[in-house]
Amino acid sequence: MTAAKRHRPALLACFFLLPLSLLSLSVSVRTADHPGYSRIVFEGSRGFQFRLQESGRRLEFHLDRRAEVSTGDLDRPRSSLIERVAHENGETGSVFSVTFNTDVKVKRHFVLERPFRVVFDLMPVPGPNQEPTPSAGPDPQEPDLPPADGPGPDAEEPRRPTKDRSKVIETICLDPGHGGSDLGAVGAGDLREKDITLTVAKRLKRIIESRLGLRVLMTREKDAEVSLNSRVSIANNQKADLFVSIHVNSSFRRGARGPETFFVSLKATDQAAYELAQKENESFEEIDRMAPTDDLKMILWNMAQTQYIRESSKLAEYIQNELNVLLNTINRGVKQAPFRVLMRAAMPAVLVEIAFVSNPSEATRLKSEAFLDAAAQSIYDGIAKFIFYQNSRYR
Amino acid sequence: MNRKVIYSLVAVAFLFFVTSLIVFLGSQREPETGTQAAPVEAQAEQALPPDRISVKAFYFSERSPVMQPVALELANSAVRADLYRQFVDLLIQEQDNHLAPVPPGLRLRTLYYVETRKMLVLDFNDKLITQFPGGTTAELEFIYFIVDNICFNFDEVKMVKFLVAGNEYSTLGGHIDFENPFYPDFRYLRVD
Repeated sequence: MTAAKRHRPALLACFFLLPLSLLSLSVSVRTADHPGYSRIVFEGSRGFQFRLQESGRRLEFHLDRRAEVSTGDLDRPRSSLIERVAHENGETGSVFSVTFNTDVKVKRHFVLERPFRVVFDLMPVPGPNQEPTPSAGPDPQEPDLPPADGPGPDAEEPRRPTKDRSKVIETICLDPGHGGSDLGAVGAGDLREKDITLTVAKRLKRIIESRLGLRVLMTREKDAEVSLNSRVSIANNQKADLFVSIHVNSSFRRGARGPETFFVSLKATDQAAYELAQKENESFEEIDRMAPTDDLKMILWNMAQTQYIRESSKLAEYIQNELNVLLNTINRGVKQAPFRVLMRAAMPAVLVEIAFVSNPSEATRLKSEAFLDAAAQSIYDGIAKFIFYQNSRYR
Repeated sequence: MNRKVIYSLVAVAFLFFVTSLIVFLGSQREPETGTQAAPVEAQAEQALPPDRISVKAFYFSERSPVMQPVALELANSAVRADLYRQFVDLLIQEQDNHLAPVPPGLRLRTLYYVETRKMLVLDFNDKLITQFPGGTTAELEFIYFIVDNICFNFDEVKMVKFLVAGNEYSTLGGHIDFENPFYPDFRYLRVD
């Protein structure tokens, strides 16, 4: 009885304050770039009414009640379109002001429940003399889906636990070919493959990080020699979701030209390993029975890539299409070969040959900074399209 | 009268059918008698003196990524390894009119055939690594130039494995896995 009397004020406070805390609203803001659009998400601790006001480079998001701002991207927007996001509480409501660094329009918006979210997808409006940039323009691959059909990454977060998370791309490993004493192919005027691959990979990393907000690993960040096994180990150990090896090509034929994107072919090695296993284990029926299965292939780590051939092929196709446009070449399709660096990659993996250093005209282009920028942009566009394709399959 | 005409026509048709059948069967038996012309290639082989055999080597050209055929001759030998050696030496020789995608100074050190795996092992000198120009396409050009040519001309060879100065190498120039044997990829050949 004495204890109950002592705690009575606290109990009374809880009784009155708990409903009040349930009535208060906390809102977090998230921003991100996606292929073809930027997204801003207002997530509330509970539902609210809202009103939108658009004016050129500014968007005002009015709430019907006062709100506290919780964690989010308020201070540091992760979208390249957004300059800043500000929040202000009024007497009866609150407003979030989003300032953009270019004119934008709301492509679509929709509301999602559990947790309550209001999602805006934004597109930049090109000026009269301005071409829409590939990253900012609408993605031709993207269907204009109604919200309920899965409009994008944020929209279906609640369903994530039921998905195969390994298929959602969060980390990309970029592998600039060669390095250190391994110069790679060398063209006229001391044009070295190892330098070109590092330059393009660094630029590509910047683009991916700024536009997609994904984690990007590099197998080398400077002119250093890294073994092929170490390169793929970095990607496997860091659980990268994509592996893109960047190279410059060379041929005995000086006339050979154009970009080429490869994914691994395990046919020869598969067949050889299987035949060898059969010969060496002819009396062991059990091993012979297991030989063609994926389990054994995984034990023979050489064949880790087996599980990802289809995705690798698709990724190669997207990148090759973009590079064909860049170099104005006819589509020769993607190719397969038993690449040492790709065979042990436990993720979709491709090897990109940007151009031929052995071809005089392509070697001249490879010396141009603008061309290297464009190459990085093309590879990015291919990756972004693949991510959209992959996410739409697995989310 | 009408019936008589019909019988006559049927008899003529039957005779025509029987005659055609005899002519057709006769033409089918001709090869057994050895009167039909032999295939062009067989003719060429027959025309060679017994100490020579004909092979078809495929080379790249500046204009085409597909190898074109060229007829060559080898000194005949009862030892298959001698034929393999002659053929590889011929392939990697510097050519005036044909593009052999091999690094300068390349030489075949030794070779041997592994009967159980139907695999030819070729051991080249170290110029294959030290003088190799690099590039995925260059690696593929070299590998399938050798493998396709050998497998095309010698049916018993199903795969080719490369050694360099007696050792296995993981890659030629940092791209294609070079430790495992290669099966031919005849998409690189233009077979007329």
